[in-house]
Amino acid sequence: MSEKLQQIINRQNQALVGDDQKVDEVIQLVGFIVGEEEFSIPILSIQEIIKPIGWTRVPQIPSYILGVFNLRGSVIPLIDLRARFGLPLQKHTDETRFIVMKNGDDVAGFVIDRLTEAIRMPKRDIGPAPDTISESETMIDGVGKQADRIVTILKVHKLLERNF
Amino acid sequence: MDEFEEILQDFLIEAFELIEQLDQDLVELETRPDDLDLLNRIFRVAHTIKGASSFLNFDVLTHLTHHMENLLNMARHGDLVIDANVMDVILESIDLMKALLVRIRDHGEDSGLDVSGCVARLDVVANGGEAEAVEVVVAPVVQAPIVVKKSDEEPDYANMSDAEVEAEIERLLAQKQAEAIAKRLGNEEPAKAAEIEPDYANMSDAEVEAEIQRLLFEKQAQDTARRAQKTENIAPQEPALISAPIVIPAPVSQPKTEVAPIAKATPAASTTPTTPRRSESKEDSDSKGGGVEQTIRVDVKRLDHLMNLIGELVLGKNRLIKINDDVEERYEGEAFLEELNQVVSIVSLVTTDLQIAVMKTRMLPIGKVFNKFPRMIRDLSRELNKKIELEIAGEDTELDKSIVEEIGDPLVHIIRNSCDHGIEVGDVRMASGKSEVGTIQLKAYHEGNHIVIQIIDDGKGLDADMLKQKSIEKGIITEKEADAMSEKEAFGLIFRPGFSTAAQVTSVSGRGVGMDVVKTNIEKLNGMIDIDSEVGRGTSMKLKIPLTLAIIQALLVGVQEEYYAIPLASVLETVRISKDEIYTVENRSVMRLRDEVLSLVHIGDIFEVERVFDSSEHAYVVVLGLAESKIGLIVDTLIGQEEIVIKSLGEYLKGIEGIAGATIRGDGGVTLIVDVAALMQMAKSVKSTIGSESGEAKKIGVKNSASDYCVMIVDDSKTDRTIMRKSLEPLGVTLVEAVDGVEALNILKQGDHYFDAMLIDIEMPRMDGYTLALEIKKYNKYKNLPLIAVTSRAGKADRMRGVESGMVEYITKPYSPEYLMNVVKRNIKFNEGL
Repeated sequence: MSEKLQQIINRQNQALVGDDQKVDEVIQLVGFIVGEEEFSIPILSIQEIIKPIGWTRVPQIPSYILGVFNLRGSVIPLIDLRARFGLPLQKHTDETRFIVMKNGDDVAGFVIDRLTEAIRMPKRDIGPAPDTISESETMIDGVGKQADRIVTILKVHKLLERNF
Repeated sequence: MDEFEEILQDFLIEAFELIEQLDQDLVELETRPDDLDLLNRIFRVAHTIKGASSFLNFDVLTHLTHHMENLLNMARHGDLVIDANVMDVILESIDLMKALLVRIRDHGEDSGLDVSGCVARLDVVANGGEAEAVEVVVAPVVQAPIVVKKSDEEPDYANMSDAEVEAEIERLLAQKQAEAIAKRLGNEEPAKAAEIEPDYANMSDAEVEAEIQRLLFEKQAQDTARRAQKTENIAPQEPALISAPIVIPAPVSQPKTEVAPIAKATPAASTTPTTPRRSESKEDSDSKGGGVEQTIRVDVKRLDHLMNLIGELVLGKNRLIKINDDVEERYEGEAFLEELNQVVSIVSLVTTDLQIAVMKTRMLPIGKVFNKFPRMIRDLSRELNKKIELEIAGEDTELDKSIVEEIGDPLVHIIRNSCDHGIEVGDVRMASGKSEVGTIQLKAYHEGNHIVIQIIDDGKGLDADMLKQKSIEKGIITEKEADAMSEKEAFGLIFRPGFSTAAQVTSVSGRGVGMDVVKTNIEKLNGMIDIDSEVGRGTSMKLKIPLTLAIIQALLVGVQEEYYAIPLASVLETVRISKDEIYTVENRSVMRLRDEVLSLVHIGDIFEVERVFDSSEHAYVVVLGLAESKIGLIVDTLIGQEEIVIKSLGEYLKGIEGIAGATIRGDGGVTLIVDVAALMQMAKSVKSTIGSESGEAKKIGVKNSASDYCVMIVDDSKTDRTIMRKSLEPLGVTLVEAVDGVEALNILKQGDHYFDAMLIDIEMPRMDGYTLALEIKKYNKYKNLPLIAVTSRAGKADRMRGVESGMVEYITKPYSPEYLMNVVKRNIKFNEGL
């Protein structure tokens, strides 16, 4: 009896270990649309996602930075990803969201057109960024391939980097 | 090792505190060399530091302080008269002592500095005072003779048998007790005790033990004796102090002095004789001070953290007040309002008190900075061969720690400047009928939310023409600029980098750097500098500095739809002027403010604000003053004064020119804080657009066809909206519909259409018509947008409310289509433009 029990426990343990390995290989992403394209960023670099709130314009900065907004007492910069990617500006709609991303101490809010979904993607499905883009300049971390679509994964630290 | 570190830290803190007072005392001593109290105080500092440093094994420091102590002790006993020369040496040694302490603080050791020269000088001076004495060691000072005399008088313990040692100890005990009794009778220095110091180096362990026992016993006897004596002495004079404070210091000082000999009995031969006197001096100062000090040391970081938390609380309070106002408006007359009001006022009251209380914990008396100046003036006057007196007033005035730290350097520069350039040489002063001795006054006092530090000298004053001439020579200004300068502006020239009136560079001044430092530092603190001067009479310099830095009072101003906060500390005044009071001189806008010409800049030009609408004929000018310069900032509206907490814009947006940070307002929005210093810099290069108001606004107003007119219909009932639509369709104007106030406001904000009029129902869910009208009128852009109420509420009160909230017309349902059409036509000025 105890032998049997041992076997079961062993099997269960193996199954658990196997699960762990699988989890390790999967990256969780949050997908969103800017313009026509779907982008995604690792879920762990997202502090929160909020509905649009008012912001204050800041002078003498590039136009893709809309300004600063108040997130529960912290003053945080707000960046319009459409403008950042050189797309024409659009009015905010009901689906517009601010994604607050963080990388270490750097925090900023990004305006996106709409959210799509949380994506679990195995690492092996992620390819490198296209060669045409120079390694140091690109904001693209990699390209995830799924059955019916391609998702561009962005480098959060690059997005949060001051480049003016 | 940790324990050692701890002791070391305590030692350093104590030492630096002692030294701070020292400079002041020394300079005072020079004027009153007979003041025994003062001498004793100075002596004690040297003594305490010596005692502690020998315990901590800082040999160099011990060596130096030992010789200082010698010298001071002679002065104390009247064997040496302190004159300027002696003082020079003492001051030099004190400087060296400071340097050593700094070294210990930074490197943990006191080697690397040469003290031998100074020590030699100390000895020479000491000998000079003692005519017959040739060598320092035989000077009639307590410590010095020990080494020499010891060998003569001391029995050789090493050669004694146990019994002999016992006997010797007995003998010493008896001697001690006799001394203790003698002490009780007269407050005699324990000089004799020192003379019979045994030679520890030659002792065996057992002997050392015995010796320690002896010393302990001796100490206890002395302490008891002294305590008894103290109580006797003090009782009649200060009856209030008898009870607790006198007794308390004794147990404190006792363990300290005992620890020293036990821990380091063998090498501490020089400390031991000093310990009795040390404990005595401690007791002296403690009982004089009137008891235990009521303070604790707190890490500044903790205070900073506390201050940050208070900052958040202040923001919360602002928010609460704003919400309370809104609620009051909305639920007028409801019973719970009273309660809410009370709570809000209590919270805001307590917050304010709390803020003040925390600010106070960070306050330091400015005396901390002032203390070093008497010494500086003394050195300078000797160096420059001038007679200068320093008068200090208001050294108890308190201000924030961070400001105290920043204010030191500027004051040093200003005072050096006054000594070097301001005060004349004695003969010149006499010739011009002034007293030979020049006076510099250093005053500090409060003025509102500011502290004012004033430096006044009675020297030769500033000569505006000379300053201009020099500046032109040095290429700082052009001749043309010089001609346009007022006297005050000319005085301001001394703050320009590279400016110097000194013919040659001396060690004191002449490099043209100092006053630039003054200006930069004062600007950093949001302070102002005001110079007044009269040739031949002297110069007065006023530094006006805000009390604290983190939470400040600000003036909120509006431009178009944006708001900015200007630190109130930099605002001199606000004036309302009409557009034709603005003149243009060489492409710069200026105005006349009383007898001054003030250059103007529009805040919109500085911060690239889009000029959407034409402002009214009047403009508000905020006169900003910083350091010694002034500028007029044109804004559209003045909102009011508010207490704001400075928040940084973060790493991503740091260093934006003209913006010092941001704050969160009562409504939860972010308002940027103007960096006045940077703004003044920017104003010089900004292209002025004042007077050439944007043509854009007019362009929008141009209508080519009926559909260029746009009217919004706001009503929650579909039927009503349709009726209005049907009535207006014949006009051919563009119609936009909204179902309630919130939606209407959103459409308006999106700015897809430029509306010429709005038809607004009063009764609506989410946001009613009145509120909507009030909200719309908050935007400058819509100040002139006609709002027409269309409602079934026909009461007089309703009409009144409509007018109050900014409605221009009031149509009551039911109405005829023609009537509505005519009202709309009139308000949008239909066809006039076609």
